Amino acid sequence: MQSEKEFIGIIKENEGLIYKVAKVYAYNKEDEQDLYQEIVYQLWKSFPSFRNDSKLSTWMYRVALNTSITYSAKEKKRGTHLPMHEWLVNKPDTNDLLKEERIEALYAAIKKLNTVEKGVIFLYLEGKNYEEIAGITGFTSTNVGTRLGRIREKIISQIKK
Amino acid sequence: MELEEMKNLWEEMSIGIEKQKRITDSLIVKMTHISYRNKIIKILVPEIIGTFVCFAGAVFILIHFQKLGTWYLLTCGITSVLILFLLPVLSIQSTRKIRSINIPENNYKQSLLEYSKAKIQFVLVQKLSFYLGAILMLTILPVMGQLIAGKDFFTETRLWYWYVIGFPFFYAFSKWVFKSYIKTTAEAENILKELEN
Repeated sequence: MQSEKEFIGIIKENEGLIYKVAKVYAYNKEDEQDLYQEIVYQLWKSFPSFRNDSKLSTWMYRVALNTSITYSAKEKKRGTHLPMHEWLVNKPDTNDLLKEERIEALYAAIKKLNTVEKGVIFLYLEGKNYEEIAGITGFTSTNVGTRLGRIREKIISQIKK
Repeated sequence: MELEEMKNLWEEMSIGIEKQKRITDSLIVKMTHISYRNKIIKILVPEIIGTFVCFAGAVFILIHFQKLGTWYLLTCGITSVLILFLLPVLSIQSTRKIRSINIPENNYKQSLLEYSKAKIQFVLVQKLSFYLGAILMLTILPVMGQLIAGKDFFTETRLWYWYVIGFPFFYAFSKWVFKSYIKTTAEAENILKELEN
């Protein structure tokens, strides 16, 4: 079993990835933090079974996306959670207001997509090629391409609104 | 905005995020511990308490079964016991299916398929449980009246009237409750359709 130290290192190294997934799938700020915690927990839970035969990033994307699918905003209302002030969610570090607006508009448009589309576009924006997206999602490369075409149209029409 | 443009914007944002490393070792450990504790509080404790209450009620009725002297009290007693055993089993089974999704091994499509199907089944079980719960309320009242207070509510009170009066309210309440279920089912069915495309 890999050590706790190693796990902490991986999380610290990839906190941006977790943050972005949480932002795409969560309904609001509070959910975002809760989903972030849930992803960290699921990664921790499955870390002992993680084998080095698959790429670390593939494993992380898979766990993060699968957790987001099964995450229930209703469940979070029960139990205790880390208070907001204890950990600050990363924010894009930019002084460019126009760029910030464009990023927010992009996020807003992605949030309006259905769950299937969210996963595909997220992986694409993360720089994954069609084969890699196919590997993580289970769709064929051709299907990924077709879906991306449809998603593009949807996002454009959302941003124009 | 073209896909490439979106990708560039996303990349720039990602670089910005990477610059801000905020999470600490203790926070990561705390997150896992709190989430683990929440799983216990949210899932295991209510399941155990619910199952215990239902089974305790069923055992109580079974122990004093001979006190239910009339055919209608016997019918209510048998129905109550069956429902009290059935309710926790149904509830645990449907939630287990959702929780049994293999998060580290499944691909996105598999998880979506399993989750959507489990969600549809979960809603069906919730509906069934709602009706069973309503029937249980009708049947357990006269049974407990007889077993605890020694009164036959059917002959000594106007229980039937209350049932008749209460029915329209129950019907309206169920309509209201099922509204959110309809939405959940529709969402899950849409995902299944989308996966077929």
